[in-house]
Amino acid sequence: MGKLDERVIIVTGGAQGIGRAFSMRFAEEGARVVIADINGPAAEKTAAEIGEAGGEAIAVPTDVSDHESTEAMARAALEKWGRIDGLVNNAAVFQRPQITRGTVEEITAEEWDRVIAVNVRGPFLCCRAVLPHMKSRGYGKIVNISSGTFFSGRSSTQYVASKGAVVGMTRTLSREVGDFNITVNSIAPGSTASDPERDESNYQGRVPDRAIKRVERPEDLAGAGVFLMSSDSDFMTGQTMIVDGGAALN
Amino acid sequence: MGRLDDRVIIVTGGAAGIGRAFAEGFVREGASVVLADINGEQAERSAEELRQAGGQALALTVDVSDQAQTETMVAETLSRFGKITGLVNNAAIAIRVRHTRAPLEEIPLDEFDRMLAVNLKGVFLCSRAVLPHMKEQGYGKIINMSSGTFFNGRENLVHYVASKGGVIAFTRVLAREAGPSGIRVNSIAPGLTASETEEHSLEEFAVRIPNRAIKRIEVPEDLVGAGIFFMSAESDFISGQTLAVDGGVVVH
Repeated sequence: MGKLDERVIIVTGGAQGIGRAFSMRFAEEGARVVIADINGPAAEKTAAEIGEAGGEAIAVPTDVSDHESTEAMARAALEKWGRIDGLVNNAAVFQRPQITRGTVEEITAEEWDRVIAVNVRGPFLCCRAVLPHMKSRGYGKIVNISSGTFFSGRSSTQYVASKGAVVGMTRTLSREVGDFNITVNSIAPGSTASDPERDESNYQGRVPDRAIKRVERPEDLAGAGVFLMSSDSDFMTGQTMIVDGGAALN
Repeated sequence: MGRLDDRVIIVTGGAAGIGRAFAEGFVREGASVVLADINGEQAERSAEELRQAGGQALALTVDVSDQAQTETMVAETLSRFGKITGLVNNAAIAIRVRHTRAPLEEIPLDEFDRMLAVNLKGVFLCSRAVLPHMKEQGYGKIINMSSGTFFNGRENLVHYVASKGGVIAFTRVLAREAGPSGIRVNSIAPGLTASETEEHSLEEFAVRIPNRAIKRIEVPEDLVGAGIFFMSAESDFISGQTLAVDGGVVVH
């Protein structure tokens, strides 16, 4: 018996990194997972792995910045399983493609637009796509992935601004949909060793700032994801939980 | 198989209200619990009910503001269960204990002192008492109960709100100090919760409903999921944080 039995959960950016860790854990806890990722083949691979482990998952190639694509994502979930219990807005531009790590003057307007389109417009569109269904059912769980950099200010402006917007969206949306028993919360990870092509030595920089002095891994976030997707968090909404080993304190 | 199998958890103020709801939830997930409460008889009744339901529960009479008593609490827990995995610093002068609700100038000094002694020094003393064991063990989970009133500055309660702000500051510092020893320290800030009480009617708890995203009265059971989460391995990379569990009054 899992903590998420029967629940249907969409994880955007669910093919790799943190999204993959969520997808795998949700499936282990009994959820049926929709892996919505711009990288279709990678999404298929993760879905297949879940299937091999005895879980249920489908891959839906999705560009979260594209309205039509997010509508198709919600439709695919409903056609396959007839319900959507949860949405994790995890897809974001950060490492792949690598954003410019530089000052405001070094970030082009085009890059700014792309980061905001994926990291902010993306969660907006995905929420928009699932809300009619969640409202009609009178239940839903939404988690938006923000970032510890919103608290520390330690990254470049296009990224940090996008992740601050995610917290703002979480707060406003939580008030709008509370009457429908839909909870909306945010998780702010620290710098996480989520790129399989970079080994953990690349992630040592933030370790001294942490209460728990080690590299953060995608699996460190899965427990918070399960909690916020489960009925254990049904009276908690509008909140942002930092999961970073105690670097930023909120 | 529970999420807290083999864990031993002390819940201060565990005899009734939110503390008791935690204890029930922890036992359901496989933990052994210690109900440490200034009201020893009520703690014993609650522990007996948990035992009758098949759980492991020990009742202890403890005034958390008394250092010797907090040390006895730890010694008796270790003697009964052999270890301490978790501590919930929940005992406080709050809804179930009579206190003055008035502007700052009208708060009696002795009441201010007592509020800080129980609500803040109590957290300090209980944490101090369990830390040597947890450090030796290299693992531990501490939850300190704060309050939504800290975020919205509820008026006519300056002694209470100051004590609960102190709890969050304490949480942050101890998280950094004890992190290298494998000890996680987090805080939960409930909203106004309808804990069982003879003095308050349900209507009084309804006053906060319009401020909430989820428009209903908060009950102790609403906090149990967060308590289990912070006591379980699921939250092992989270420390120093404060989680508001109040149906979305405060957005933190």
